[in-house]
Amino acid sequence: MSSAISTDKGQVKGDAAVRGGLEPWQFFLLAALGCATAVTFMARGQGPTAIILLSVLMGAAALVGYAALRAVRPLVSPEDDRTVMVGQRTRAALEGEKLLALRSIKELEFDRAMGRLSEDDFREMSGRLRARAARLIKDLDAGAGYRDRIEKDLEQRMGERAAEKNAAARRCAACNTSNDHDAKFCKSCGQPLGR
Amino acid sequence: MASLGSALLLATFVVCSYAAVASVAGARRRSRRLIESGIGAFYLIAALMAAGTAVMINAFLTNDYSIKYVAHYSDSVQPLFYKITSYWGGLDGSIMFWVFLLSIFGSIAVYVNRERHRELIPYVIATISVVQMFFLYLMIVHRNPFTTYLRAAPAEGEGLNPLLQNVYMAIHPPSLYTGFVGMTIPFAFGIAALITGHLDDSWLRAVRRWTMFSWLFLSFGLTLGMIWAYEELGWGGYWAWDPVENAGLLPWFTATAFLHSVMVQERRSMLRVWNVTLVIVTFFLTIFGTFMTRSGVVQSVHAFGDDPILAKLFTGFMVVILVFSFSLVIWRLPLLKARNELDSWLSREAAFMVNNWILLFAALFVLFGTMFPTLSEAVTGERLTVAGAFFNKWMAPVGLVLLLLTGIGPLLAWRQSSVRNLVDSFLWPIAAGVAAGAASLAFRIPIWPAGLCFALCGFVVGTVTQEFWRGARVRRKNTGTDLLTALVGLVGRNKRRYGGYIVHVGIVLIFFGFAGNAKKLDEQVLLHVGQEAKIGRYTIRNNGIKVSDDGQKQMTTAYLSVFADGKEIDGLYPARWAYRRHEQEPTTEVAIRRTPAEDLYAVLGGFDLADQSATLQLVVNPLVNWIWVGFGVMAIGTGIALLPERSFAFALAKMPAEAVTTTVAMLLLLLVAGARPASAQQGMGGSEDTRSSYYARTPFEKQMQHEIVCTCGACGHQTLAECRKDNCGTSHQMRGELAAMIDQGKNHDEVIQAFLAKYGSEEMLGAPVDKGFNRMAWLFPYLIGATSAVAVAFVAVKWTRKSDPGAAPEAPLDQATDERIDDELRDLD
Repeated sequence: MSSAISTDKGQVKGDAAVRGGLEPWQFFLLAALGCATAVTFMARGQGPTAIILLSVLMGAAALVGYAALRAVRPLVSPEDDRTVMVGQRTRAALEGEKLLALRSIKELEFDRAMGRLSEDDFREMSGRLRARAARLIKDLDAGAGYRDRIEKDLEQRMGERAAEKNAAARRCAACNTSNDHDAKFCKSCGQPLGR
Repeated sequence: MASLGSALLLATFVVCSYAAVASVAGARRRSRRLIESGIGAFYLIAALMAAGTAVMINAFLTNDYSIKYVAHYSDSVQPLFYKITSYWGGLDGSIMFWVFLLSIFGSIAVYVNRERHRELIPYVIATISVVQMFFLYLMIVHRNPFTTYLRAAPAEGEGLNPLLQNVYMAIHPPSLYTGFVGMTIPFAFGIAALITGHLDDSWLRAVRRWTMFSWLFLSFGLTLGMIWAYEELGWGGYWAWDPVENAGLLPWFTATAFLHSVMVQERRSMLRVWNVTLVIVTFFLTIFGTFMTRSGVVQSVHAFGDDPILAKLFTGFMVVILVFSFSLVIWRLPLLKARNELDSWLSREAAFMVNNWILLFAALFVLFGTMFPTLSEAVTGERLTVAGAFFNKWMAPVGLVLLLLTGIGPLLAWRQSSVRNLVDSFLWPIAAGVAAGAASLAFRIPIWPAGLCFALCGFVVGTVTQEFWRGARVRRKNTGTDLLTALVGLVGRNKRRYGGYIVHVGIVLIFFGFAGNAKKLDEQVLLHVGQEAKIGRYTIRNNGIKVSDDGQKQMTTAYLSVFADGKEIDGLYPARWAYRRHEQEPTTEVAIRRTPAEDLYAVLGGFDLADQSATLQLVVNPLVNWIWVGFGVMAIGTGIALLPERSFAFALAKMPAEAVTTTVAMLLLLLVAGARPASAQQGMGGSEDTRSSYYARTPFEKQMQHEIVCTCGACGHQTLAECRKDNCGTSHQMRGELAAMIDQGKNHDEVIQAFLAKYGSEEMLGAPVDKGFNRMAWLFPYLIGATSAVAVAFVAVKWTRKSDPGAAPEAPLDQATDERIDDELRDLD
């Protein structure tokens, strides 16, 4: 089982790279189907226990193969780290921490309502937690993930182009409402917007 | 198959070392590739162990007796289910099962936390892998479960120990193992946090759930063990302070302490060193418990037997754990300093500290009591006995103080409680406690310890009810819904807190059941056909004995009728089963008539087929079923606390009717239960002639029979009054001697002296005599109690003095951020 994997692995990876379709798990699915066929042949006339046992064994072997692949692949493939980092830590970690701070504030509010916390203590403790939450929010905003960055870049570029075109046309001359850059009439007073 | 299994174990060992090395090297060289490869290797361990397990179970199911382990613990007539459970029925398999579980849990923990706690993962993997390597090493060099016979394999296996062929016993070990093994995960995260220096609260968040999960399974395992002892061993009781039971209880104490002190760190950033220490100690105790049960260091009914090599390996491993982890703690001490101080003794922090102190005291005491026989053997060369009575005497007050704290803790405010606040929150719970106490007095229950226990139960139930009630009212005011919706929302919103309160209710029920012991009746009778015996309000009649056989075992059953108030209410059928190839150790099949108020429990001790007479042990156990119910409530509470953050979200706005009614019904049930009287019982019945000569004739003889322990070595140090079920010759003889001495008019001390002179050791005394080295046994509990109390006080005083007003106040937030936080807070609800 595992020897088959080690020979086929390079090819599978190559295929995946070339066609972008074939993934290792598909190979394992095929292998598992093959094993199932083998099991039915081997266990003919031996009752259900034998079939189940052999299947479990084959399943375990497939698991071993897949995990081995998972252990070896990072060593030979180029480093491809898609995790979004903010500073030293992952974004998930920061978000988790922010949620924790917010929840703690909630809990504090509840404690105060239950009379388990004096007003002064509440102010002091929740002040500290709010400061922490604010710091985390700022960190998250500053070092937002690359997707956010792309979107911001995109927004900025679109905004620039739009600004060039319609810088003057955005505000309604009559009521001073700001409108979309492609609007023909003001959404508030209905006056036609100047070009 | 066997060689495949051995090869798999070897391969796992190699992969383990690779995973440890690769992930640590990756972390030090900041190479994602190596770390990723290490994670993959870590999953591979789980896969390899799964394959190994499959091979082992395959061997069991196909009756492959060429493997020694299979031949030893299985035979062909065993039902399929027990063939599978034989996997962990012996020492070798149980170690393998341990590694298997650890690899699965480790993989899950790593998979779940790989993004959120990325910096810790490499060291988590390394720690778990090293622990696995130790157990794998044990198997490979010393206890390989796949060892085969060198010569021809036997044609038939020896079969699993009949005592273990019981449904509870089949799930009890895996449940305990799950609890034990699960404690490795918090340990690994703690070590990783210490190594990397990421000692803020985030690692605690990663392990909180694991600790709760393991704690739940540990509790479940302990309860199952109790049920098993109650139903299968025929002790008449459920807890005998056997070393193996204690081994499971030790980490339970420290894990409970950890679950509580975590909250102090989360809320107040205190007790950081303490929490790390607790995690380490808990893990250490799981290993220690495994060591105790598997090395033959202590004598027990269900230890695996003597194994000096294993004992040495384990000792080495334990020393390594302690030295390594505590050096890390000392190295990181500067990072672990508390950020806050203790403001007042009337605060929840202080309550948690006392709670931790009591739990640790309990753990140390049980540890000491369990190890005392071994210690005294090492020091004085004489193996002493520390029997149940000694533990009960000490643990009863400890348990009651814990129960009291369960009620007090939730009522105190963080930092400081004002007087008004105290009066406001303590009024109703204390009223409930007093009412429960008065009720128990009215039923003439002795004040110590049962009456006090009932009063405290009332107090805690009062506390919890008040918490739910007030919480629901606050929430109703905030959300503007009706009370029931508010109640569900409350639990859904604060799962951990209210889940915890439900766990407290479960604890109350368990204590409620324990307190029933005060009215326990225990009687031994010899009944000929047609004869009757009275116990409590029941009359038992022997209708005869029948023998039958089902191919696997021979079953001898006594047919008993139960009468109450002159009417026949039930039949009881206690039996003894003699399994093939295990004829010398017949199992006792207890017959139990269960009611919420009390159990009537009958054990067939001995029988004479010729005249159809039966020796019976009859026990009335009041309230015992509430212990099991209490565990169920505890499991529900833990389950609620374990639910993911977002579950219930759908139900928060609307009212799921069933959920509410269930909770309310349960609370009502508890209240009713709390008020339920323990049925008043009159003294013993049974006329003199139905007793065999050695059943206690006078209260004095009964007392002596309970004070002296049987020395047969097979019964787990039961007292003379208890060790009857196996027709134990030793205890029979000792009872005879006792009866003779009493007939001679000897008093208590003279009897003890005579026994000491005759047996030449103190082994048959339930508790050590108060002199010489043995005084330690009596002194030590006081000693640890006092020392730890001084330590707690010292730390507290140090913290109170260190009040440092210089801590700069946080800069005020700008408007926009403030509003954003408010928005997010609203979204959270």
